[in-house]
This record gives sequence, C-alpha cells and structure tokens, in this order.
Amino acid sequence: MSVTPDEVRQIAKLAELSVDEEHLPELAAQMSRIVDYIAQLGEAGGSGGTGDHAKPFIPGPDAIRLREDVVAPQPLEGKISDFAPAFKDGFFLVPKLGAFDAGEETA
Amino acid sequence: MTEVEVLAAAKAAATRLSKAKRLNALLTPPAVVRKSLVAQAKAVRASGVLYGMPVAVKDNICTLDFPTTCGSKILEGYQSPYEATVVTKLKAAGALIAGKANLDEFAMGSSTEHSAYGRVLHPLDRTRVPGGSSGGSAALVAAGAVPAALGSETGGSVRQPAAFCGVVGIKPTYGRVSRYGLVAFGSSLDQVGVLGRSVHDAARVLSVISGRDPRDNTCEDRDSLRLPTVPERLEGFVIGIPKEYFPVDLHPGVRRACDRAIRALKDLGAAIRDVSLPHTAYAIPTYYVIAPAEASSNLARFDGVRYGSRAGGVTTLADLYRETRGAGFGPEVQRRILVGTYVLSSGYYDAYYRKAQQMRALLAQDFRNVFDRGVDLLFTPTTPTVAFKAGERTKDPVAMYLADCFTAPANLTGVPAMSLPIGRVKGLPVGGQFIGQPFLEDDMIEAAYALERAISGTDEA
Repeated sequence: MSVTPDEVRQIAKLAELSVDEEHLPELAAQMSRIVDYIAQLGEAGGSGGTGDHAKPFIPGPDAIRLREDVVAPQPLEGKISDFAPAFKDGFFLVPKLGAFDAGEETA
Repeated sequence: MTEVEVLAAAKAAATRLSKAKRLNALLTPPAVVRKSLVAQAKAVRASGVLYGMPVAVKDNICTLDFPTTCGSKILEGYQSPYEATVVTKLKAAGALIAGKANLDEFAMGSSTEHSAYGRVLHPLDRTRVPGGSSGGSAALVAAGAVPAALGSETGGSVRQPAAFCGVVGIKPTYGRVSRYGLVAFGSSLDQVGVLGRSVHDAARVLSVISGRDPRDNTCEDRDSLRLPTVPERLEGFVIGIPKEYFPVDLHPGVRRACDRAIRALKDLGAAIRDVSLPHTAYAIPTYYVIAPAEASSNLARFDGVRYGSRAGGVTTLADLYRETRGAGFGPEVQRRILVGTYVLSSGYYDAYYRKAQQMRALLAQDFRNVFDRGVDLLFTPTTPTVAFKAGERTKDPVAMYLADCFTAPANLTGVPAMSLPIGRVKGLPVGGQFIGQPFLEDDMIEAAYALERAISGTDEA
C-alpha cells in the first residue's frame, strides 16, 4: 500500500478529523487506491513534454475586480447570533476548554 | 397566467412533489413545501419571465425559506442568514422555490448515495442511481414534479445526473453565474447549473440566473445570457467529434445513441469534423487532485465553532474540531478531505498538486486548439454508461470517479457544456453532450434546440 494506516492517522490529525482506529486499514487501502490512480500524472510528465513547463491554469476573469476597501453592513437577513451554535457580546462561544494543545500540534 | 392560475399551479406542484416522496429527492417535508408554495404564489410579482414556475433548489445553495444542509449531518437544520444571488434572481423573475433537493454530501459524489439523509432513487428504476451530485434535482425534474431545478457542478454534477435521468442539464461558463450563496467545494471549479425537462426550460432559467453580481468577484461583468431562437437548420455550424470520448469500451448502447445523434446533426446541415483532445485521459486524475485539495481547504470552516452541529464532551480545542468533524462528515467527504490534505502536504505538493495544475493548462490548450481551428462546438456522450446499480461502485472510489470522465474536462477548463437526452438503452436514458466556447452558451443551446427537435430522446437507440 502506498499510504499506510500510520500516515492516514497523521494526515487526519493535520486535517483536524477524528478517525476511528478500526477504520484506519480500510481508509489506508482506499487512499492508496486513489493515490496510485492520480500518480499517473507523474508518469505523464516523465513521458516528455506533457506539462513540466506549462503555466498553471487559472479560470475566471482575466483581472479580478477588487471591491473598495470600505466598511459596509453585512447583507444578512438575520443576526449572526441566529446561526452560530452559541454567541455572546459579538463573540462566538465555545465550551470552556482545558488547554489549547500548543504542544500537541508539534508532537 | 392569472393569479388564480398561479395559485392552482403551485398547489398542483406541491401535490406532484408529495407523490415523488418515494424517490427521497426532496429534503424539505411535503407539507412545508406546500405551505411555502401557496404563500409564494400569493405574493409573487406577476411580471416576471418565470412567473409561477416552480423550481427546486439543490441543498448546497443558500435559501432563507428553508434550511441549507448540504446533505450533511454537520449542517443539520442549518438556517442560512442570507440568500444566494441565484435564488434572489429566480424570485425576482416570478419563480416559486419548490423546496431543497437532496444531493451527495457537500456535492461530493456521482450517484447521490452519499447523502446523510439517504440515497435518491432513479425515477425509472429504483434499483439504480440517478447520478450525482445533483441527483435530487435531476430526479425531481425527471419525475415531472418540477419543470426545472437548480444544481451545481464541480466535475459534472449537473450533466451526469441529467444524462442518467433523461433530462437536460446545463453547466455555464465559469464566471457566467454568481456563486454568492453556493456553499464552496472546489472554488476554481464550482458553478451553479440548471436542470430542465426541455432545452427551453433549462435555458430560460439559466438566462434568469446569469449575469453580473457585485457580491461575487469571480462572476464576470457581463449582461445575462440572451436566449437564441429555435433554428430550423444548423448550416454554418462546425461540430467536432473528439475521438478520445469514444473509447473502444464505450457502452455499445451509448455509442449507438451518439451515432444516431451525429447523423441527425449532419442531416440538419452541420459540418461534422473528427478532432482530438489528446490529454483527455488525464482529466480525472487531475480533477481528483485539484478538487479534494480545494475541498480540504474550503471545508476547514466547519469546525463546530461557527456553523451547524458541535461535538459535546470534549476537553481540548483540537478535540472540539476533530470530534465535530469526525462525527459530522460522512465517509466520502472525509476521504476527500484526507486526500486533499495529503496532496497539499509537504513533500507531495510538487508531485501531485503542481503537476495537476500544469495538466489543467494542457487540457485547456486542447480545447483552445480545436476551437481556434474553426470548430464551433464539440459533441460527445455525457457518460460512458447508463445509470448503474445502487451500491455497485460505493466500495471502489476510483470506479465511482470514472463516471465523470467525459464531464470533468469542461469544469477543469471553465468552458460551458450541456447534456440532453438522445435515446434510451433498455429503457434507461442516454445523454449527449455539447461542449462550447467560453461565454458562447447561446451557440450550444441553439444546436441543442435543433437536435432536441430532430430526434426523440425516449426512443430505444
């Protein structure tokens, strides 16, 4: 397998996604299948002239129109507090948490 | 139509939507839709070009009248505080919003089996899928519940279900229609599209929703699309037939239907020319790098803090994010977030993402080369097969992804494309696809008008 269960565990951590340990082998197998499939893009480059010098393609308008940098009211029909799970005094509320996990991210 | 007729039409639409309940195509409860349709019919402005037309809306497009769930548990019951520009434009034209259509979660899928609210059934064969991700929209139109519905496209999610269900589906040029209020999946690919029971129904809805929007800077500063007249003949049109879209393993019934359509185009006076788009085979691997990469970034906002549901019983901020997202996203969305994170991660970026962006440039050059040599439009099958059986491809993600092999190139390169019914194989619809030049949807629609009149989309191929 090109993607191992350990790698899936690490990627899931980067993606802020909890994944059940029991599902890791199946996810690793499916991700390997996908990664092996998309790897043919590398082979295309290796066969000569297919893209190594091509400029990345960006769709859409040639020149992005920028809005004026002014403060304007939000075009919302309701208050922000109506759609957030919890909101008070202009802030989104989250449960009281024990730590911000500063050490965990670099572990 | 008079006010009385519009009210009667709204009630009739509500009854049809209620009868289509077995398809699981509509996420809004029938009683809620009925009440809303009646209220809208009483309040609607009588001068609009879509006066009284019920239009269902895919549930990843924000509405004020109904929740917007994206087919996901993470947004269960979510009420948007604003409305998509396309919905505002529909209402201003007199259309009635006929509830929210089921979809693959966050529009990720090709079969509408990946909705947290259950799969959508094919209207002609309930053992099969309606295609996806706009499978709910397609099924509602095919079942005759509404004359048109909004969908969205990232890799073929309007045209592929349109082909499977035997209706018309249009993906406009990237930048033709505002995406303000469309929940983002792949921002360099996403477009709102239209499904209709006929070319005219789909085209007139597209005309209404197209055009500039100061709230979306990726929407081009252009007037709305002007509809072409229905042509008698197609003299002067040069239609290219790209050989890469007719591989040896193309479903024989799909091939027969396409051959018949090409003969009809020739009989209508169009010049038919064989052409080549040499990088077509790389479209799906390119798409499945770029779309998950963009999705992994776009879906980072669903973290339990600002939107929708939130996991309980957590003690750290990281756990709040991870548990909310792990419980709220379904398997296909999780898989794509993981693949997206993988291809963007240090050490893999050049091998996958950069390579895919370069391949995308080559795919765009393929189209430019053909169009620069005098070809007006391309004609291809929309899908390599007819609608497949439910459950047939859910275990193998790559097999599922290949259902989009003829549709994804138009999304990757931004060009407009549409599907229309061109026949049936053992009762199952086959779609034919026109691919056009950027912002020349009118040429594409003109040819589709003519082909629709020349052949029966319901005859066996």
